[in-house]
Amino acid sequence: MVKKGDLLLEMNKVQKRFGGAVALRGTDLKIRAGEIHALLGENGAGKSTMLKILAGVHVNDGGTIKLGGKDFITGSPKASIEQGIAVIYQEPSLFLDLSLAENVFIGRQPKKGKIIDWKYAQSEASRLFKELGVELDPKRQARGLSIADQQVVEIAKALSMNANIILMDEPTAALSASEVERLMTVMKSLKAANKAVIFVSHRLDEVFAISDYITVMRDGATVSEADVKDTNLQKVIKDMVGRELTEMFPKTENKIGSVVLEVNDLTNPAFFRNISFNVKKGEIVALAGLVGAGRSEVARAIFGVDRYESGSVKVNGQILPAGSPVEAMARKIALVPEDRRQQGLFMIAGVNRNISMESFAKLTDRGLLNLKRERELTNTWREKLSIKFNNQADPVDRLSGGNQQKTVLAKWLATEPDLLIVDEPTRGIDVATKAEVHRLVNQAASEGKAVLMISSELPEVLGMADRIIVMREGRQVAEFSRKEATQEKIIAAATTGKKSA
Amino acid sequence: MNLLNKLKPSSREASLGIILLIAIGVTGLINPRFLTGDGTRDLLTSTSVVALLAIGITPVVVMRHIDLSIASTVGLTAWLIADMCAKNPDFTWVQCFIVGPLVGVLVGILNGLLVAGLRLPSLVVTLGTLYIVRGLVYVISNSVDYNAQEMPPSLIEDLGQKVFFGLLPFTFFLVIIFMVVIAYFMKYAKSGRDAYAIGSNPPAADLVGLKVFRRTFLAFVFSGAMAGLAAVFYLMRFAQVDSTAFYGQELAVVAACVIGGVSIFGGTGTAVGAVIGALLVQTIQGGLAALGVDAFWKSAINGLLLIIAIYADRLLAVRSEKRLLQQRIRERI
Repeated sequence: MVKKGDLLLEMNKVQKRFGGAVALRGTDLKIRAGEIHALLGENGAGKSTMLKILAGVHVNDGGTIKLGGKDFITGSPKASIEQGIAVIYQEPSLFLDLSLAENVFIGRQPKKGKIIDWKYAQSEASRLFKELGVELDPKRQARGLSIADQQVVEIAKALSMNANIILMDEPTAALSASEVERLMTVMKSLKAANKAVIFVSHRLDEVFAISDYITVMRDGATVSEADVKDTNLQKVIKDMVGRELTEMFPKTENKIGSVVLEVNDLTNPAFFRNISFNVKKGEIVALAGLVGAGRSEVARAIFGVDRYESGSVKVNGQILPAGSPVEAMARKIALVPEDRRQQGLFMIAGVNRNISMESFAKLTDRGLLNLKRERELTNTWREKLSIKFNNQADPVDRLSGGNQQKTVLAKWLATEPDLLIVDEPTRGIDVATKAEVHRLVNQAASEGKAVLMISSELPEVLGMADRIIVMREGRQVAEFSRKEATQEKIIAAATTGKKSA
Repeated sequence: MNLLNKLKPSSREASLGIILLIAIGVTGLINPRFLTGDGTRDLLTSTSVVALLAIGITPVVVMRHIDLSIASTVGLTAWLIADMCAKNPDFTWVQCFIVGPLVGVLVGILNGLLVAGLRLPSLVVTLGTLYIVRGLVYVISNSVDYNAQEMPPSLIEDLGQKVFFGLLPFTFFLVIIFMVVIAYFMKYAKSGRDAYAIGSNPPAADLVGLKVFRRTFLAFVFSGAMAGLAAVFYLMRFAQVDSTAFYGQELAVVAACVIGGVSIFGGTGTAVGAVIGALLVQTIQGGLAALGVDAFWKSAINGLLLIIAIYADRLLAVRSEKRLLQQRIRERI
């Protein structure tokens, strides 16, 4: 039986190369039972590679890994599972066609003779869900479950395997505030059961709220390990970035001009009702609220991706016809969607083709693409946004998350929009790139563009927006000016719907 | 009955069954002979080959793969069996039932090694083996055809004409047995559940350590074995074979599966659905024939049926997605 504080996992000078690229130069990590251990680092620092080695997906080239004093057997996911390691990936990897009970016990179904004992599997799954404080029906299909609930199923799976070490890769990236709270409760109960939880996150406030120990990685090596009591936010950021980060939210005072976007009584009963607001030149308006409050749906309706039932959208004083992104683009609206991989980019196409995609008309001669002008356009935006890539034609797939996000931004900024809508512009990207994206959005506003920003990160909302509109369950419940707004007020409005002091 | 209860059809299969009954009823109204013992026997006899093949590829399709080589395998196996019987007049149905699946298994092993072992896309691999195997038939047969005289009477006359209760032909009796066994196996055995998991989310199947290679390989071997057995059914029904036997029929089998709810996107569908799908296609063909619809329209109407089936699935999926979303919104409140 493991006791609290027992050394469960010890990684020493672990190295990993992919072809010529060095992913891990020498990583050390010590994990003890009954602790929540945060693993931090910028995108590309090697956190994912490390998790994948422990998960049995990759094999390390050098260094030693000891698990409970014994050598860790690498190289197959099954071997890792058998050694008590469970991994919960950023995108939960459930089997959507199967029931929850089946997902919990997949590969290890309880049997009565030769036949699977469904009754036992279901009651056992149900017991685990209760233990985690989330009552899910073990007989229901996994399809349609929210990401938060899918994670609960994954954690139940880890518990049913008697895992001692539970790895979570950015578990909170796609969760709303209340879901994050629930997950933290679950993590604490795992800790109380003397499990070790390793989690990766870019949300540093959460890291300091819950973890006992913090390991920071940079460029494939461990740069610091510290008890959470002995470190602080500034120090951690400095370790991650390798330098002091001057300003996270470089807010500038812009001249606010005429109304660019005017939304009136916009309603689509399934997602939102009676939404009315405007955005002016040089202004950044944030839509705050919980995930699922209908904010992205409002943005999609404005841009014409989805239709709406009633209400109107005016751009520069003129009615914008519903349901036509082509028309929206012609009226100089740009929408940077929340999911860059699925909605924002053509992952296998080159950086140049992605950036030029929406500016095609400006780059063609008699209908044919002028490659020279495409190259110039790409170079212009590469410099303006300091996007890092080797070759213009490199597929965006190969870029880091932060550079991908900059590429989507470049694509839309290249269309020279009057109204820029950005949906979760910094999801899943590291601190330094986040600050850069904030600078770019601010710059767009200071150039006189109207900016509508959807964000679930309150520091971002408070740091960036001139005005904040809070939505809850499809309704607009509060509006705050930059001066009035506080974290508490926004949370209160987003969760209770009441505008209170 | 306990066994029947355990195989309780999902709503998809139940609604398909109802559609099948309606189709049979309507066809019966047009042509009363359709509802007699003779009519039922004809329907079941003519469905047996496709239904058995549909059962055979069900595990493959559930795993998000496809096996297009089955029709060529039927052709090759049927010709080889006929050739063997012609050269050994003392052979009976027993040898046919042994050799058929064996030949099929060989093709299945080849497919399985290429798809599971080398991780090549099954669509391309089995398209390749479709041509290879058919090419083999052309080469080996050397334009020799075989007729009933060269085949064992115990196969063609005794078993081929055997009917239970005046309406259940022997071949369809075997189809039902395989259907029940496979449906039960895929619902209650570990390897069966793994098949659904693999088709539902292939990368995740690797990550949780399922035996993806073994399951995929065996699914193709099983599909090959069923194709070999279907070749015996083919001989029992037609009592003659040439190098073009069953040419191009693989897509009819895939169509039966899709109509029966075995999704080509993997993860869903049962052997019961596949058999109902095959029966439905055959019944509608019978109905059209009874209406005097030109035979040339046959394939066009088959295609229409396929598109309607996939559209119905899409509607169901959209509806259940909406329901789940509403449920989530309610749960949040």
